Amino acid sequence: MEEILEITLRSIIVSLSATLLSATWSIPITLFLSRQKTRTANIIMSFFNSLVGIPTVIVGLFLYMILSSSGPLGFLRILYTPHAIIIGQSLLITPWIVSLSYEVFVKARNTYWELALALGADYFSANMVMLRETLPDLLVILLIAFSRAVGELGVALLVGGNIRGYTRVLTTTIALAVSKGEFEFALALGAMLVFVLFMIALTIRLIKAYKE
Amino acid sequence: MILLKDVWYLYGEKPAIKEINLTLKDDITYIIGPNGSGKTTLLKVSSLIFRPTRGEVLYNGENPWRDKKKLLKLRKKVVYVHEKPILLRGRVIDNVAFPLVLRGYTPSDAKDRAREILREIGLESIENKRRRELSAGQAQLVSLCRALILDAEYIFLDEPTNMLDIENREKIIELIGKKKAKKIIATHDLALPLQLTGRILLIKDGKLWGEITLDEYRSMFLNIH
Repeated sequence: MEEILEITLRSIIVSLSATLLSATWSIPITLFLSRQKTRTANIIMSFFNSLVGIPTVIVGLFLYMILSSSGPLGFLRILYTPHAIIIGQSLLITPWIVSLSYEVFVKARNTYWELALALGADYFSANMVMLRETLPDLLVILLIAFSRAVGELGVALLVGGNIRGYTRVLTTTIALAVSKGEFEFALALGAMLVFVLFMIALTIRLIKAYKE
Repeated sequence: MILLKDVWYLYGEKPAIKEINLTLKDDITYIIGPNGSGKTTLLKVSSLIFRPTRGEVLYNGENPWRDKKKLLKLRKKVVYVHEKPILLRGRVIDNVAFPLVLRGYTPSDAKDRAREILREIGLESIENKRRRELSAGQAQLVSLCRALILDAEYIFLDEPTNMLDIENREKIIELIGKKKAKKIIATHDLALPLQLTGRILLIKDGKLWGEITLDEYRSMFLNIH
């Protein structure tokens, strides 16, 4: 039981870090794109939309090649560390955050941002009003992205290496347990993963209910 | 005085308004036209929310889009009320007080002033309600109160009596009439220009089609009814 809790806690910390890291670039990128009405912005958004369904192993493979000792970022020596999983998951969920928050920002720009200007706000205040009004939606989007990160396998396996007590997370442990025929252990881990996802879904519902 | 010189506004490649030459200096100016004729865009361009794609909008002879500081300063003197009320999260009182907070009032002073105007309209009973608890008409009233709380020089109203019942319509018309600001009103409420008289402009397909006198308007109105 202790091992399950330790792995669960690691999974949550790694995926939460990845979500917050991804938010630091995804949200400013989306804010910028939502302001643009150019064809280039549309093409960039189409690119992000198409990356939403990218297989996690592709992201893992791409990152492995970059972070391996012969890769361009091999000198960082972070392959098979939790940092590598965090970076990989943050890249994996970037298209999710950008695609989902784009619609929110476009709508907010046509409503709250415009309203703030119409009532005499400067651009900074108008942006603050827009962010304040979209905060519940953004939190929901970040939770969706977190659930995507915590449930992925390809990145964690390829760049994390599934090292016991170090980079082993829920999904990689389930895969290992199944390969070893330890189905009870795999089911217990699976139940824990479903519980985490259920808690996320519950939080999303609560945010939506109380966002007024 | 607001002067529009050959103003165009395009959505993509489609002009929403075109070749607009207009002076806004009367106490009340009505913009009347069918749906999709460009009334809202004309109001948003005139009230400095949208930058014209072509042409100039001059406030007292100056183009505020050329100087960001002047633009921001002018925006404090201009207020635009959306056709569909947009309310912020929070209570009614917070919404009505919001423009005053933007202008540096303390939250408690802004709320005191907001309470006054809500009392004037008879909305004091809903001051603690949230937007999801309001009817469409109440939301419209709150949105109008939020704009009318300001001592703006120009008030742009997009369908202000839309969604209001007769009683609330009368209250709002009274409040609008009391305001010293120059009012520019886009409306489908054909009876409104007969109650609050002003200059009447007609718009169609994004172009101004001209101006009619109150007498011409009255006979047109009687013919319709």
